[in-house]
Amino acid sequence: MKAITREALTTWLDGLTGRYTLIAPRLVEGELLYRSVTASAEIVLEFRRTVLSPKTFFLPDTQVVLEVEKRGTETTLAEPEVVKEQVIIGVRPCDARGLRALDALLLDRPPADAYYAERREKTTLIGLACPRLWEDCFCTSLGGAPDDASDVDLMFYEGRTGYWLSVVTEKGAALVEGLRTEETEQALPASDISGERVPVLAPDGWSALFDDAYWQRLADRCLSCHACTYVCPTCRCFDVRDDTTAAGPGYAHIQRLRAWDSCMAAAYRRIAGGHNPRPSKAQRLRNRYYCKFCYSPIDFGAVACVGCGRCIAVCPVAIDITEMLADIQYPISST
Amino acid sequence: MNERSNPMRPLLGTLAGVKDLADDVKLFQIELNGQSFDYRPGQFAFVSAFGVGEAPFGLASTSGRTSQLEFAVNRIGTVTAALHSLEPGAIVGVRGPLGNSFPLDEMRGKNIVVLGGGIGGAPLRPVIHTILDRRTEYGKLTILWAARKPSLLVFTDEYDAWRSAPDTELHLTVDEGSPPWTGNVGLITQLLEQVAPSPENAAAIICGPPIMIKFVLLGLKKLGFADEQMIMTLEAKMKCGIGKCGRCNMGEIFVCLHGPVFSYTQVSRFLESFV
Repeated sequence: MKAITREALTTWLDGLTGRYTLIAPRLVEGELLYRSVTASAEIVLEFRRTVLSPKTFFLPDTQVVLEVEKRGTETTLAEPEVVKEQVIIGVRPCDARGLRALDALLLDRPPADAYYAERREKTTLIGLACPRLWEDCFCTSLGGAPDDASDVDLMFYEGRTGYWLSVVTEKGAALVEGLRTEETEQALPASDISGERVPVLAPDGWSALFDDAYWQRLADRCLSCHACTYVCPTCRCFDVRDDTTAAGPGYAHIQRLRAWDSCMAAAYRRIAGGHNPRPSKAQRLRNRYYCKFCYSPIDFGAVACVGCGRCIAVCPVAIDITEMLADIQYPISST
Repeated sequence: MNERSNPMRPLLGTLAGVKDLADDVKLFQIELNGQSFDYRPGQFAFVSAFGVGEAPFGLASTSGRTSQLEFAVNRIGTVTAALHSLEPGAIVGVRGPLGNSFPLDEMRGKNIVVLGGGIGGAPLRPVIHTILDRRTEYGKLTILWAARKPSLLVFTDEYDAWRSAPDTELHLTVDEGSPPWTGNVGLITQLLEQVAPSPENAAAIICGPPIMIKFVLLGLKKLGFADEQMIMTLEAKMKCGIGKCGRCNMGEIFVCLHGPVFSYTQVSRFLESFV
């Protein structure tokens, strides 16, 4: 096992900032968010959970997908500049696991999403294990673990005076070349995985509950505020729209943008002309849960929820995905 | 990123012609100037009005008949309003072809019933054209064509050609009609009851508003059509057309990727209703 002191880590991270876009948890007006940093001093590595997952560095909240220039009768298209190699440090195992759901849809099911593919290719993930499950966390109920290194390139485990370090991939090995580490005999302290497990209904159990009255009851207090979808590391729906950034006589510059969207929005499925096949909040909330626990397993072979607990923490009306999972063990229609 | 590997990048085309089809409905004819675009009846594409956005439309043209791509566009939202404001010569974007297509090869030798409602007739036009162009390969062709009112009937200038083709019938109806309209007045479901096409060795192809499709399916069932004999093309909100944006899901099905053409056998198994 390799170990690294906090001082050596600091020196190494400062060195990375010159070669890569270094992204790390950083305090922004009191909120802990993944942001690019220029010095290691800005980085916060002692934390429980960031407000948002790092998914925005793969599927940005807003990104330019096309630049259009109209000049006289000429129209030219250009795609955005390629992104620089990026390193994200302080990635929690659940968030890294969440990228599996994004990969399944955006990379592995043809055609691949060119923008996502480029960012995924150019990113090295440095994980940071959780010593235990935090409040609202339930990763262990969904096949994850607070110290699961399966989805990162390098994994750091916090110790009293520094970090243990595990190299997972070749990409990770390349990144730690030149890093001053010490070999240690000391065993890595295992993360504490105690805590109540949430029952997760198998994918084929969901179809019988589709018309259950429970969804209406749960949705009665939903505000359709979209927060659960934005904070979710596996939600990946997007909108595409045009924005004219400059215009003059015979000239226009247009950016085609794509931005995070939310299936909680009333107009999400409404087509021009007004027809809406999913007009009620209950239908939309049900769709979000079914997308994760029923449709994703059918389409991609795996549940698209990693138990990060963010949707529980962020919901203004205390809708709790773990309560839902427990409740549907005893559906209304069958009681 | 190169041009070929990015499915979100449109081709540039020139608006070669714009024709009035019905109230607020225009036919847009787009010239791609030799760029490759191989499509089949039932497929769709996104058309861009740069600066406003892009929206999906069923291809209303038939590749064997014209090199231009044709789309029937109902002015109903922001992108369609922007397209309606364009004049011939304008540059538009075309992204596609996308989705699956009608199983016309498998339908050879069968009697075909085509049921179109309003602008839903647009993706059915290449079906009609293909059957007329390969007339001997198919049995009887029965077209049931409907609109809310006479001024909303699309492709009226082609009705004579359709009617005069061998072994082909065209039946029109409108929900509300007053003189000079002298034809059928009533829903397409009533027309279907009157015409009563036989399900024997037949296949029905349907496109229209969801509520129309729902009741036409019931009507066809009553006539004895089996689930696998009823084929429809569904409409859904879409932002990407390549199975990524999430907008068009019906349960685990993505209309853009698994459709837009589905048999009733498939639709009847959807967890989530298309209506």
